[in-house]
Amino acid sequence: MLRAAYRIAWKDVVGDFRRRATLSSMLFFAVAVLLVFQAAFEPDRSQALRLVPGLLWATVLFTSLVGLGRVFQAEEENGALEGLLLAPLPHGVIYFGKWWGNLALTVLVELFLTPVTLILFNVDAWDRLPAILGVLLFGTLGLTGLGVLLAALTQAARSRETLLALLLLPLAVPLLIAGVQATAAVLTDMGSPWPWLRLIAIFDVVYLVSAPWAFAWLVEE
Amino acid sequence: MIDRLIRFQSVLGWLTLAMLAAGLYLVLTAPADFQQGGSVRILFMHVPSAKMALLCYVALSVASILYLWKRWEGADILSEALTGVGMVFTAVTLASGSIWGKPMWGTWWAWDARLTSMLVLLIIYVGLMALRNGIEDPVKSARATAVLALVGAVDLPIIHFSVKWWRTLHQPASFTGSGAPKIVGPLLTPLVVMAVAFIIMGTYMTVVRARTIRAQRQLEALEEEKSWQDDR
Repeated sequence: MLRAAYRIAWKDVVGDFRRRATLSSMLFFAVAVLLVFQAAFEPDRSQALRLVPGLLWATVLFTSLVGLGRVFQAEEENGALEGLLLAPLPHGVIYFGKWWGNLALTVLVELFLTPVTLILFNVDAWDRLPAILGVLLFGTLGLTGLGVLLAALTQAARSRETLLALLLLPLAVPLLIAGVQATAAVLTDMGSPWPWLRLIAIFDVVYLVSAPWAFAWLVEE
Repeated sequence: MIDRLIRFQSVLGWLTLAMLAAGLYLVLTAPADFQQGGSVRILFMHVPSAKMALLCYVALSVASILYLWKRWEGADILSEALTGVGMVFTAVTLASGSIWGKPMWGTWWAWDARLTSMLVLLIIYVGLMALRNGIEDPVKSARATAVLALVGAVDLPIIHFSVKWWRTLHQPASFTGSGAPKIVGPLLTPLVVMAVAFIIMGTYMTVVRARTIRAQRQLEALEEEKSWQDDR
C-alpha cells in the first residue's frame, strides 16, 4: 500500500524533474513574491524582524498554489487519471501518493526559500534557521494535505487555478495564523511557540485523516 | 422530499409575510435602548440573519452527507438551494453588522473571531457556487460541491477557534458588542418573533429556490434529449 503511494509520488517528482516544470517555476515565483513584498513594504531592519514571519508564510502559501495547480495536470491532459483510479488500490492510497509528491516539491522550495528570505530581508537569525524550517515544514504537512484535496476538487472545473486560490486561501487561514505566530515566537523569543504548534498539529491531523476519505468519495464511480 | 415541501410553499409564503409584519411592528414599537438608542433595532434583523446563515450551513452539510452517502438527487438540489439562501443571509449579516458597528463601535469592521469567521463563511458560500458552476459534468459538480461543503464544515470551527485564540493571546477583546448585557423582556419578544420569522422565511426561500432548480434541471434534460433526437 505504502509502496504504491510512494511509487505515485516518485513518478510525479521524477517526471517533474525531467520536464523541469513545476519546481523551477515555484522557485522563481517565490523569489518574485519576495521581490513584491520588499517593494511594497520596504522594511528597515527592525521592521523586517517583525514582518519576516508573515512574509515567509504568505510567500509559501502563494507559491504552493503554483505547485498545487499542477498536481493533477499530467493526468488530466492525458486522461491518465482513469487509469490511475483503475489500479487495484484504495483511492485513499492514490491521494497519499499525490500528497507526497506535492509535499516533496513544496519542501524543496521551502529549503531554498527560507535562507533566501533571511538574506534578502537582512535578518540575522542563522542559529534559528532549523527551528524556523521545522515550524514551516510542520505546517506544510497540513497545507499540502488540504491543497491536494482542493486540487482534486477543482481539477475538472473550467477556471481551476482561480477556483483553487479562492478556496485554499480562506480555508488555510488557521494555519497561516498559527504558523506566523509560531515562527514569530521562534524568531524573536517573544512568547512560546508551543500553543501555536499544537494548533498546527490539530490542522494537520484533521486534514490528513479526513482528506483520503473525501478524495475517495470524490472519485468513486 | 422536495415534493412534500413544495406542497407547503404557499402556506410558508403567507406565514412569512404575517410573521415579518408582526415582527417588524414589534421591533418598531419597542422602546429604544438606554445606551444604543434607536440603532438597536438593526440587531433585530442582524441576529436572526446570522443564525440563519449558520443554520443554512448546517443544513447544507447534512444535505451534502446525504448526497454523498445515498446519491439522492434531491439532496443535491436542496444543497444548491441552501447555498444561495445561506449566502444571502451571510451577506445581510455582514452588511447590517457593519451599519450597526459604525455608530456603536466607531468602526465599520473589526477583525474579531465572529466577524472573521463570518467573512470566511461568505467566501466559502461563494466558492461553493463558483465550483458548482465551474464544472460541466453535473454528477462531478454535485460531488465536488458536496465534498467542499464538508471541508468547509470542518474548517469553520477551526477558523473561529484560531482567530479567537489569536486575538485573546494578543489583546483582550476591544469590543464586547454582544453578549455582555442581558436582553430585557420588551426587547426579547420582538427578537424571538423575528427569529421565528427568519426561520420560516429561510425555509420558504429554500423551497422556492429548490423548485426552480429542479425545473431548470428537468428543462436541461429535456433539451438534451431533444437535441439527441434531432441528431438522429
